[in-house]
Amino acid sequence: MVNPYKFKKRIALPAFCFMLGLFLSFSAIASSHREAPLISNDPLADNTDLYAFRSPQDTNRIIIIANYIPFELPEGGPNWSTFGENIRYEIHIKNDAITTGDDITYRFTFTRTNEDPTTFFNIRLGAQNIKTTYMCEKSTDGGATFTTIVAAGTVPPNNIGPRSEGPVGLGTAYSTSWSSAITTATSGEDVFCGPADDPFFVDLAGAFDLGNFRPNGNTTNAPKDGLARFNCHTIALSIPVDMLQKSGQDLSMAANILDGDYVIGVWASASRPQVKTLTAGTAAEAYSGPWVQVSRLGMPLTNEAIIPVGMKDAWNAASPYTGDAPFIPYFENPELALYMDDSQFGGAVPSLNELRMQTASLGAFDFRNTKKGLWSLKGTAAVAGTALDDAVFGTILLPDSTSPRAVDILPIFYTGVPNLAPYQLATGKPVGNPLAAGKPFINNFLPTLGDMLRLNMATPITPRNHPKFSSLGIVQCAVLGLTDPAYNTTAALQWIPNMDGFPNGRRLEDDVTTIELQAVSGVALAAIGLWYDDYPVSGSPVTDDLLSVLGFTAGVTTNDTTFRTGFPFVQTPWRGYDHTIQSRF
Amino acid sequence: MKKIIKSAMSLVALLFMTQLTATASSHREAPLISADPLADNTDLYAFRSPCDTNNIVIIANYIPFEHPAGGPNWYSFGENVRYEIHIKNDATTMGDDITYRFTFTHTLEDGSTFFNIRLGQQNPKVNYICEKSTDGGATWTTIVTNGDVPPPNIGPRSINGAAGLNTTYSALVAAALETATSGEKVFCGPIDDPFFVDLGGAFDLGGFRTTGARDGLEKFNCHSICLEIPVSMLQKSGQDLTMKSDILDGNYVIGVWASASRPEITTLSPTGGAPVASGSWVQVSRLGMPLTNEAVIPVGMKDTWNATSPYNDAAFIPYFENPELALYMDDLLYGGAVPGLAALRIQHASLGTYDFGNGMDGLFPLKGSPAVAGTALDDAVFGTILLPGAARPRAVDILPIFYTGVPNMVPYQLATGKISGPLDTGKPFINNFLPTLGDMLRLNMAVPPTPRSHPQFSSLGIVQCAVLGLTDPAYTASGTALQWIPNMDGFPNGRRLEDDVTTIELQAVSGVALAAIGLWYDDYPGTGSPVTTDLLDVITFNAGVTANDTTFKTCFPYVQDPWQGFNGASYVGPTTGTQDLGIGSKLSVLTGYPNPFTANTNIRYQIVNDATVSINVTDMNGKVVYTENQGKQLAGTYTINWNGGNMPNGVYFANLIINSRKAQTVKLIKQ
Repeated sequence: MVNPYKFKKRIALPAFCFMLGLFLSFSAIASSHREAPLISNDPLADNTDLYAFRSPQDTNRIIIIANYIPFELPEGGPNWSTFGENIRYEIHIKNDAITTGDDITYRFTFTRTNEDPTTFFNIRLGAQNIKTTYMCEKSTDGGATFTTIVAAGTVPPNNIGPRSEGPVGLGTAYSTSWSSAITTATSGEDVFCGPADDPFFVDLAGAFDLGNFRPNGNTTNAPKDGLARFNCHTIALSIPVDMLQKSGQDLSMAANILDGDYVIGVWASASRPQVKTLTAGTAAEAYSGPWVQVSRLGMPLTNEAIIPVGMKDAWNAASPYTGDAPFIPYFENPELALYMDDSQFGGAVPSLNELRMQTASLGAFDFRNTKKGLWSLKGTAAVAGTALDDAVFGTILLPDSTSPRAVDILPIFYTGVPNLAPYQLATGKPVGNPLAAGKPFINNFLPTLGDMLRLNMATPITPRNHPKFSSLGIVQCAVLGLTDPAYNTTAALQWIPNMDGFPNGRRLEDDVTTIELQAVSGVALAAIGLWYDDYPVSGSPVTDDLLSVLGFTAGVTTNDTTFRTGFPFVQTPWRGYDHTIQSRF
Repeated sequence: MKKIIKSAMSLVALLFMTQLTATASSHREAPLISADPLADNTDLYAFRSPCDTNNIVIIANYIPFEHPAGGPNWYSFGENVRYEIHIKNDATTMGDDITYRFTFTHTLEDGSTFFNIRLGQQNPKVNYICEKSTDGGATWTTIVTNGDVPPPNIGPRSINGAAGLNTTYSALVAAALETATSGEKVFCGPIDDPFFVDLGGAFDLGGFRTTGARDGLEKFNCHSICLEIPVSMLQKSGQDLTMKSDILDGNYVIGVWASASRPEITTLSPTGGAPVASGSWVQVSRLGMPLTNEAVIPVGMKDTWNATSPYNDAAFIPYFENPELALYMDDLLYGGAVPGLAALRIQHASLGTYDFGNGMDGLFPLKGSPAVAGTALDDAVFGTILLPGAARPRAVDILPIFYTGVPNMVPYQLATGKISGPLDTGKPFINNFLPTLGDMLRLNMAVPPTPRSHPQFSSLGIVQCAVLGLTDPAYTASGTALQWIPNMDGFPNGRRLEDDVTTIELQAVSGVALAAIGLWYDDYPGTGSPVTTDLLDVITFNAGVTANDTTFKTCFPYVQDPWQGFNGASYVGPTTGTQDLGIGSKLSVLTGYPNPFTANTNIRYQIVNDATVSINVTDMNGKVVYTENQGKQLAGTYTINWNGGNMPNGVYFANLIINSRKAQTVKLIKQ
């Protein structure tokens, strides 16, 4: 067939703004807070968020943070939430697509003790009820053997109030109790398990009232952070890069800042014994049988806003290594895209009016659900040698004629994005030819097919006080790579601020809800040169449609408190007695 | 007790109350149940209806701390949970005299979306059956076969919008008010949590405060089971109120408790399928008197308490005889360490003699003496419950309030009219005595309700009733005569939604009930007014938050609609360039009527601009079953008629297509 891009013109990379590389889908919402029917009734085992980023405190280390237990009310006594017994909390790391299963696994198990069962108070006279300690075990052989690396870790108490810290309580300032729980594993990782401010932020009320979003700064109705002033429980690890890299290499051995040998995939889970038996008269619980995974989390919002309700429980129980293939259709034609499509339900969701995906990009390509997308290029000379060549990437990206988002949404979630055409910025590409080589900006390709949070550890960090640090992560990296003269005058690989942001890993600051909504509306496609419909095929591709997408936010764009500058980076939990008030809905 | 106490003047006090501290009445109150929110009893209320005074209202709430915007999987009643309300009306029988059992089912109406409500369908839609037993659970009759639980109050797009349920929340609640085949009114659904308490203060080791207190339940929802039942259906002999002997007739006392049970064995599916439940049912949560398991039972016993029947409660008696909270109101113990309770101090030398501090003897020295002959303290009358032994001082007040109810008998009458001391006959003010030993919420149904608009209505319940009975000339003038006193229908004679049980119970632990019957505080000089500084301190104490954060309804189900998750106007994004539909934000309006339909139905629409219009109807699978091309039409209102009579029964969608774009969809039901 005729190559539809006859690009006669060169685009001066211009002027615009933008864009994301490859992204994600979905809507807003607490990243994975009460996201599926079954797990919503088991808060202690409910994974809420997962983060993985290179430490801004010690750039030779990677921080992994897995959060559990949604919506903990700071004053929620007398039985505050804490990690549960009879639950395996695990963090799984993949660093080598050739092996099967986990390359590294951290397993946490918790034990609760009542130090003074004669009182109904949680803390009294130096004694703490439901005092929680833990053991951390590590496996580097796919779970065949485990070594205990923290034998008796301490979970700090909940942040109840000044009396519980004072002489009739524990007699220790809360910040001291909290910080002193940071420990170092026998294998060298720093470890923290304890209550923390929930770092996620989202306008829950807006997102789930059938897409009633309230963008930041709108004059109609201010967005509300549905997670404001709630705590969660966090498991945080600080791990040297060479302990995670598949061959034990440290950063000095990286070929470049997008070296594909430094990609890790991370996911977290919670499992329970299969059989729970209650005892009449005491309600005591006994557990037996094999462990069953009841919650998992890799990419944010997958199970919140991609997987439909009828499949959510099954998704939580599946392994990303072996069980994720059945879910591929939900990424190829994401539900959220229906609400950004005027031929579907777009007209019924006016809060997403800014977001419209390409129906005729470059005059030819339609990315609406069930349309052809780039299918017409399949097997053509135009894609030879690119990621769209079956010989290079298999048939994942162009599987058939009705799976348009297999080319952008799917790889972000399931494989990571390679540093390969067309997945390079339009900077440096001829006008109208997204298939040409462009400016590299991401490489977190790890082709073990399944939902994981993928991070290229070789990518340098953006200091949090850098003037160009942005919560839009790779979207902002793309905008800078296309528009900032410091980066858009050469197609050469260079470090661009926020290259270490979501979806290349995930920093605590990243506004994943906005990024994912923009991605569903096609901003990643635009970043690589598949411009919006109103691009006139010459001149600036910064059209009204594109500006509209880039100007959109999902509402709340930052957390309701600060983050810490050192490990464990999450903030101390809100204090029950006197935390400040902020409306949550 | 040689002196004569003048009944009057004073204020004072509750008779018998409860102990404990604050906190959500029973929200996440024990370690195990705190991890099982669906089965967690939060509060129980029982009161005579102010709307229809021949009826009794029972409200059992479950599921604490529901975030109004807590989607996409909002809470609802759980499957594999038995929610039960138990009623005892006859101490001579064993077990329940009446039991109501509620069982819920969840249905995904559209498993293809992640939204809770979309295009008229709910995920999950929750329904229930209610069964009733009047033979102690031996046999059951289904009295509501397909009850409707309203959806969560998500917001205007989900509830009111055409893409949602296309209705109003009040209409959904109204549609969920059921009448059982046996005559009771029934409602099961989400509501504003009516409880109020300064959680942050109470549980920071008793950090109660009058400034800066905040309602820890503010703007949280819960799920409620509400019943309104005629008195004659609850009274043990089927009598209605015309047959009562007086307003404290002891034959009209009921004891109420609520519970949740789970199957003994739960087996998880390794693939995320529904868990398999098997085995017998095990009670995992219960609630009778507020705050029992929150602040009376210590943490080491809380789980066991939840699993125990109130008909088998003897093991917990010691926690009422010497309540932990009393430690914090006693300067000989930890009183000095809890300044938030400094206003509350227990009698150590009432009438110069009686010490009610924990571990002290209370009224035990009177045991077997002629002074108590014929009173409730006489073993021949009441057994040994009230004066069981030395060092169990609160068996005389805290224990009976929780475990037996309080009889209209000396010494449990107001000091009003008493001549020589607390063991004289006084003025009656409560009788909710039902001597089946165990924790229940006991209500005398014969007591007339206090209208909520009554100028003397008070959230202090019986405490305020006692204050009026001791100090208001309208009630003191008649001495020991029985007469109705405002708030005689308040906690702990049952429990009204308005009652500030946290304050009442803290006052009770500090001995205000003892004072009300004439066992004055230590600083009473033995003559003159017993309204001493100590007493005033207790009476003027409150736990910080004294009212709910919203109103109650005047009639069934009395509880308020749940807080709406999304509030205010909806943001409408600008439409851009070629994407402009030409209809802007003023969407066209599409309706179908009749709907549901059996044969012909009318599809009516309005367009605000001239446009090319077509209407089609699709089935559940998206297949187009009917199309009507209207061509170019001027702005205006149009109606077409579709004869769907030959279509299979089920759900259809009528779609309005303007300028080739779907503008709106409405659900049609063929039946």
